[in-house]
Amino acid sequence: MVREAAVREIQWSAGLDSLRRQELRRVLIASGLLHLAVVVVLSVSPTPPGRSFALPAVVSVDLVAALPGAAPAPPSPKAAPKPKKVVLPKEPAAPQAKPKPAPTPKADPKPKAEPQKSYEDLLKEMRERAGEKPEKPAAKPTQVAGVAGATGAVRGVRVSPEEMAWRRTVRIRVRNAWVLAPGFRHQNLQAHVRVELDASGNVVGVPKITRRSGNPWYDDSVLRALAKASPLPPPPEAGDWEFGFSPEDVF
Amino acid sequence: MRSVCSLALAALVLAAAFARAEERPPIWVTDPGEREYKAAIQRFSDRRAVPQLADGTSLRGDIRESVDFSPLFESLDPKAFLGPDESQALDAPQPPVCSQWSDIGADALVEGEIRSGSQGVVVEFRIWDVARCRGLLRKRYFGAQADLPIIARRIADDVVREFTGASGVSSTEIAFISDRSGRKEVYVMNSDGTGVRAATRNRSINAFPGWAPNGDEVVYTSYRHGGQPTLFTISRGGRRKPGRLLTRINGKSPIYRGVFTPDGKRLAFVMSVDGAPEIFTSRPDGRSRRRLTEHSAIDISPSYSPDGSRMAFVSDRSGSPQLYLMDADGNNPRRLTFQGAYNTGPAWSPDGRWIAYESRVGAQFDVWIIDPEGQVNEPIVTHPRSDESPSWAPDGRSLAFSSNRRGTADIYTIGLDGRNLRRLTASSGNNTSPAWGPFPGKR
Repeated sequence: MVREAAVREIQWSAGLDSLRRQELRRVLIASGLLHLAVVVVLSVSPTPPGRSFALPAVVSVDLVAALPGAAPAPPSPKAAPKPKKVVLPKEPAAPQAKPKPAPTPKADPKPKAEPQKSYEDLLKEMRERAGEKPEKPAAKPTQVAGVAGATGAVRGVRVSPEEMAWRRTVRIRVRNAWVLAPGFRHQNLQAHVRVELDASGNVVGVPKITRRSGNPWYDDSVLRALAKASPLPPPPEAGDWEFGFSPEDVF
Repeated sequence: MRSVCSLALAALVLAAAFARAEERPPIWVTDPGEREYKAAIQRFSDRRAVPQLADGTSLRGDIRESVDFSPLFESLDPKAFLGPDESQALDAPQPPVCSQWSDIGADALVEGEIRSGSQGVVVEFRIWDVARCRGLLRKRYFGAQADLPIIARRIADDVVREFTGASGVSSTEIAFISDRSGRKEVYVMNSDGTGVRAATRNRSINAFPGWAPNGDEVVYTSYRHGGQPTLFTISRGGRRKPGRLLTRINGKSPIYRGVFTPDGKRLAFVMSVDGAPEIFTSRPDGRSRRRLTEHSAIDISPSYSPDGSRMAFVSDRSGSPQLYLMDADGNNPRRLTFQGAYNTGPAWSPDGRWIAYESRVGAQFDVWIIDPEGQVNEPIVTHPRSDESPSWAPDGRSLAFSSNRRGTADIYTIGLDGRNLRRLTASSGNNTSPAWGPFPGKR
């Protein structure tokens, strides 16, 4: 299937011509020498400065062997190899260090620069009406809805200490391999995946989504995390294990 | 009798096993923290009659730069590659060896080739999900040789979209006002701060740029017509000619801050009536004018909800400037902000969930977001100096704003989570009033 779309890039020069006409007339004589100089510069310069506002014209797009719809789906059998076990180093990758918050320069006593003129007059008028008394926004902003703290407990079901320890290790291993787009973070997206593990912790076959989140990219991200975390530590019991994925703690 | 007992026993064992499997609760994986996808970008092979090695290298460099611009991606240094540095033919019988890429921590692999085309070049590429070893997208771009940097940004945005469901924004543009020439003119740059170019040079005062939804036009306020502010447009060459808007509106009233409706068919703007600025809508030429606000107070700064059904605006009818919402026809006005004595500059997010605005704290402004119900109200950018004029990225994940934190005003972008602060303009006068344009696909 082939899809084509034309993409025109910006051509500000068209707008500029008409916008400049009046001003050019006014400053024509005064700028004559300057223009002459510019022409000379242009004729010798490989990247004329005056062209910076014009961009190339046309880029068109052609999708080749694109997947059905916008959602990621299995590639064409020809293009894609068979699913295979991807072996990663034993130790999970260390979590990325959080970037430092933006540097906070010292407070500057200078007042805010005045922006636009007569529009600013309106704002000035507003300030006068407001009594010019700056008021700090209320103390604490409301938090974006979150869920209460997590627990590692396996609810209502007695499990051995060994299984508890294994579950904890697996949870950390898979979580460290999971990349979640910020846009999914505060959404109620839950996906369940059934994974068949052999006695060594290798994933057998392809993990199966037993409950979709409704967002195919989210579902893909959890399958990707499982693939990256494989092989898992040897489970207490070979067979099917179910994983639940949620952006926020659900317990 | 014995067989009945055996059957019963077997049934019990099966039932117990089944019950165990049913009882076994899922292993919950939650709260994955902040991590980035790692992308390995191969040097695209040049399959033209006269290959130019530099093109494949610079294309890769541009893709890496744009991929790195996305907060969720980081490109891997090619020196760390275990697999080949240059792409093989896309139709090669053997696909890439995924373990070579997963072993260096890559999540995405981008391979591609440059060929000759009728317009100049054809760039064809494929994106792989390394962990699952499957192809996600194969696509072609056609363009002139000079378009390679644009194609690189489009490819980077494709990578982001395949992994997150939302396109990256590196091929979008930001319009803004700069006085770098000595006058306040409209400029346009790529959303990573590159490619700055002047869009007006009328030597008047120009302000408040805003994009048409299809990205073909920028509307702005200018004093270039008889010293009285009114609206003008710059065009990419679409149907409407660039120049003055609202020509059917007579009178000498100042007109400010035009914004297009989400369908692009009408404009909302501010016009003074009997000394009080009010919000109107009309067709771009001024016909079919409707007045939306009728109050003796000041009503300014219209911003449409993405579905066009509602509008946020600023009014001082309560005694101080505050954000208000109303229906797009002017009905049902209600006050939205109650914290702070001075809240202005509303910008409704593309997903409709938030309204960003500037809130004065002391003598300066911070950027806040509030939801349309007024339930959640949070600061996004706080700094001892002023941060103002928020404008949403078309993916709704970032905001552009202007700040004078380094002395002169510059345009910055920041993620909605408060991370990835970037300064886009530097050392070129005061740069203010950013307006982030739509995705190129809308053009």
